[in-house]
Amino acid sequence: MIFLIKLTRVNLYIIFIVIFGLISFLLHIDFTIKAITDWTIFIYLVLSIIFLINCKIILPPKGNALTMESGVYLASTFIFGVETTLAVLLIGNIAFALLNPKIKWWKHLLNFTNYSIMTIGAYYTFILIGGEVGSVQLEKIYIYVITLIAYYTINVFLVGSYFYLASSSNVFKVFKTIVSETLFGYLCTLVMSVVLAILIVSHDKFGLVLFTGVVGLLSVAFKQYYNLYEKVAKKANTDLLTGLYNHSYFKEVLTNHLKNNDNLKLSLALIDIDDFKKYNDYYGHLAGDDLLKYIGNLLSEGCKENNFFVARYGGEEFVIIMKDVDRSTALKFLNTLRKQVNDSYFNGVEILPHRCLSFSGGVVEYEKGIYSINELIDRADQAMYFAKAQGKNNCQPYDSKNISLTILEHEKELELLEQQVKIFLYKDVYTYQHSRRVYQYARDFAYKLNLSDYEKKLLISGALIHDIGKLEIPRDIINKKGKLEPFEWEIIKKHVTWGKEIVATNKDLHDLIPLVELHHERYDGRGYPYGLQGESTPKLARILCIIDSFDAMTTERPYQKTKTFDEAIEELKQCAGKQFDPNYVPAFIEMVRELYPLKFTENSITKEKVTNF
Amino acid sequence: MVFDGILISIIIGFLRKGSLRGIAEIKLKGGYIFPLLLIIQLTIYLLQSKFALITNISGYLFITIYLCGMYFLWLNRKHCGFLLILAGVFLNFLVMAINGGRMPVSMEAAIILDPYYIDVLLNDVYGKHMLLTESTKLAFLGDIIPITNPYPKSQVISIGDIFMNIGIFFFIQQLMLKHKLTKISHPVLKKEVN
Repeated sequence: MIFLIKLTRVNLYIIFIVIFGLISFLLHIDFTIKAITDWTIFIYLVLSIIFLINCKIILPPKGNALTMESGVYLASTFIFGVETTLAVLLIGNIAFALLNPKIKWWKHLLNFTNYSIMTIGAYYTFILIGGEVGSVQLEKIYIYVITLIAYYTINVFLVGSYFYLASSSNVFKVFKTIVSETLFGYLCTLVMSVVLAILIVSHDKFGLVLFTGVVGLLSVAFKQYYNLYEKVAKKANTDLLTGLYNHSYFKEVLTNHLKNNDNLKLSLALIDIDDFKKYNDYYGHLAGDDLLKYIGNLLSEGCKENNFFVARYGGEEFVIIMKDVDRSTALKFLNTLRKQVNDSYFNGVEILPHRCLSFSGGVVEYEKGIYSINELIDRADQAMYFAKAQGKNNCQPYDSKNISLTILEHEKELELLEQQVKIFLYKDVYTYQHSRRVYQYARDFAYKLNLSDYEKKLLISGALIHDIGKLEIPRDIINKKGKLEPFEWEIIKKHVTWGKEIVATNKDLHDLIPLVELHHERYDGRGYPYGLQGESTPKLARILCIIDSFDAMTTERPYQKTKTFDEAIEELKQCAGKQFDPNYVPAFIEMVRELYPLKFTENSITKEKVTNF
Repeated sequence: MVFDGILISIIIGFLRKGSLRGIAEIKLKGGYIFPLLLIIQLTIYLLQSKFALITNISGYLFITIYLCGMYFLWLNRKHCGFLLILAGVFLNFLVMAINGGRMPVSMEAAIILDPYYIDVLLNDVYGKHMLLTESTKLAFLGDIIPITNPYPKSQVISIGDIFMNIGIFFFIQQLMLKHKLTKISHPVLKKEVN
């Protein structure tokens, strides 16, 4: 199986280098067993290589590492010639491979052949310009400089070609990156190799031991500084309270994303905890801090799996950067997260309007033409405020249309109705949200059905205000968690009548009365308050009934399971002709499918298609 | 050399801010076997020059002791470094077994030692060693590596010894640094280029 490699150009390159490297290695290696004294220096060299490979000198900030084994290879080439160096290279690499079995075997092989080619190339340069194996000619220091340049050039060429082929980005850019990252290290190597050569010439094995020892100690010291750096860097980038990343680091990361990538795919979510101020005022700041910590933890746990970046943006606001994720997936993720937060109980959340932890979120996807992070954050912010306006505890995608909708809402009449509905924010936030959603559906559905302008206006306004009568229902009943008693049901049923009376107080709204009063009538005549049958209920009230029931079925509440869109639609179909006017159910289903495709599981859509055709 | 290796490992362990706490918690299968084998070996050293019988069979005795030791190393192979120790012991064992049960010592390397030892090696039995000659097989696995000035204790070691010491080093490092294995590794610093 190993040999069934796909012949991409990277693989071809690797195969070529490995074969070329192995051939040049075999041409130069000398397998004859030498005198015992040669064995000892050989062993010393191998040990020093193994030691040095494991003693990286780690350099901040990016975790670059400097290894000194190249210095040993060069010094060994200067003093002992190419055969010994290649033998050391072979044994050293085998030992390294055995100590690091996790690295793939072909990488070890490629690494080994790369080093072989570099060493042989450096050796010939050394000989060609008049170097002599076995001594250090300090008066001809240029020989060593040129040899190292050759060694380095071959290395950059080999590694650069690999990265160029693998990433297929700009040649110039690839080589520039490699040179800028390695030049400093190789300068060190040059000096070190000459130092080591001098040490070996004057003090034999002890010179090598000294050199290795110095590098080892440096490695330990640098490691400790690096750990310290990591700790401090972590502190600087972390929000102390929640343990998430902080505002400034978030901006840094986002800026980097936007700067580095031409075809960037990224979504950004901005989250604001609902009614945090209320919680804070009620229980004090310490409890508020605990709540922030708790939510921060929930968010980071939720994002861990997908490896999303979560930061505390400030106060009770959080941001999530989702790389390689489009807007709708991001929205779906955020909604799952929101439901998780809803279902997580925290001490004292009973006082919140939703009676559970919740947040409002805005999601925006990066598009070409967004030139600064501020613009992106701004859009997420707008979407988040739109979500807040929908009654909190929901997530909205950024859409320029949504902004204009809020402008439309300032139409005089709607504003008036809105004022009335807002009372629910204090009494029963679920009814408020329900009204907002039914209003949204009604808006879409009105356009779908091609109603006249007047009917559109009626349906939309009526949708917003249809449950206004619930204001009269006592809190104990409307917020009751358990099953309702029959007499309580009777009270609930009265909300249509009370609603009619409230609406009737305003002469301008008289046209809305049928919608408010009759949206609980059923097509089969078993509804309330009058039990009207079929088309004796006005058309708009019949339409509103469908919308209202659909939203009631799919409303999510904390600690409860809700119907999915699939199930709710199934229910609509079942009840078409009984509860609902069968003339409008298909159109409604079609609209929901078009506008909220993500709410459906894929299977059900295909299944649906099969049964339709 | 093994004792030097342990000492050096412990010192380096301290330099890396480790502690001895872990060493107290070693759990080895048949841990008592190792000191026992050492005692038997030392007894043979003492007795072999006095009794001809022991001199004659001491080679086999050493091989038996090595086999025994390797078996118990194998039992403990899941410990960090033990496979390396095993490899080292095996290399020493190999060169001894193939050359009649004694470790060949290179004359060139032994020069660094007190001339007394060379005398003994030439004429008598000393420890478990013998002189490396032309006829010695796998000579490079014998005691050929001189360690001397400035190292305080001159000695000659083998490739197998080196493996053993590296294994011991890993084992001790792991024991000493075990308690601080909670590494600070932070995704911040794993930023990708592009």
